[in-house]
Amino acid sequence: MANHRQAFWFGVRDLLPLVSGVLPFGLIAGATGVSMGMTPEMIMGMTVLFFAGSAQLAAYSLIQDNAPFIIIVFTVLVINFRFVIYSASFAPLLGPLKKRYRLPLTFMLSDQVYGLCSMPEQQAKSKGERVFYLAGVAISMALSWFISVALGVALGANIPASWSLEFTIPLAFLAMLVTTITNRRLFLVACISALCAIAFQLLPYNIGFIAAVVAGVSCGLLLPNLLQKRVGKHG
Amino acid sequence: MDNLSLWLLFFAAGLGTFLIRLSFIQLHASSAALIERSKPILALLPPGILAALCMPGIVFTRPTNEYQIDPLQILAALVTILIAKYSSSVFWPVVGGMLCLWLLRAYG
Repeated sequence: MANHRQAFWFGVRDLLPLVSGVLPFGLIAGATGVSMGMTPEMIMGMTVLFFAGSAQLAAYSLIQDNAPFIIIVFTVLVINFRFVIYSASFAPLLGPLKKRYRLPLTFMLSDQVYGLCSMPEQQAKSKGERVFYLAGVAISMALSWFISVALGVALGANIPASWSLEFTIPLAFLAMLVTTITNRRLFLVACISALCAIAFQLLPYNIGFIAAVVAGVSCGLLLPNLLQKRVGKHG
Repeated sequence: MDNLSLWLLFFAAGLGTFLIRLSFIQLHASSAALIERSKPILALLPPGILAALCMPGIVFTRPTNEYQIDPLQILAALVTILIAKYSSSVFWPVVGGMLCLWLLRAYG
């Protein structure tokens, strides 16, 4: 039990540095809602119901453009489609839990949770410790996101843009990326996925993200075997 | 859009997003065999996903809706990679990268 409590607090501790990136993003999400004339209740309702920052920002701009209802819902769901991958990755961990733990933890899955919980150090731990670690990350992530948006509603986005605090988000994922690359095959996956993500950046609906992941993982599965066959033939 | 349709929109999008998150977790029992067979794929996902998450934000300036490469951000990212190689936490690589970015912007 003590181990579990410790794992929970490790999760909270590991999330704290990421708040530097979540905060400016949340401030923008809150302040944008205010600038569109939405009431604080609506902005916070939207924030809690979505619990997905990039989809929320996309929805704002579509609402402003008077896009049809169904198009907005569709766009949000396509942007959030990556959560299917997270769901599959965490299914062995969260699937067997009781409903009252499974549903809230599932609701709070996010990029940050996926990143921190898939670091090799975590993968090596026991199931119980991993669940409590995930809970620590997920709960502190949710709280910092809600508080950041609420601050954006109350104060506006007052951090000077020249600080580029939102740049800490890609930097944090980059640091996690470096930690997860433990062999050459994983390095290959990362390189292909990175190149594709850059090349497909302008595709709508976050399609570039999915395409990059699919390309990277397919190459990681197929290329090493193909190369090995080649070498085998020559040798 | 009036307030009622906005609320409906938020509920629809929120419910859909939750169902996406829940998909495999809820069907865990029936999809266990599938997930077990996909283990080789799932093992390759973290670097693929993390690379796709961070690269556009590092290479391009915000807003990332046009191709405008920011060399200073790329240099800062290299510092983050270097520190991350020696640090298991996320904190110091991010601090190092941000300090590098601020220094480059101030004196570059």
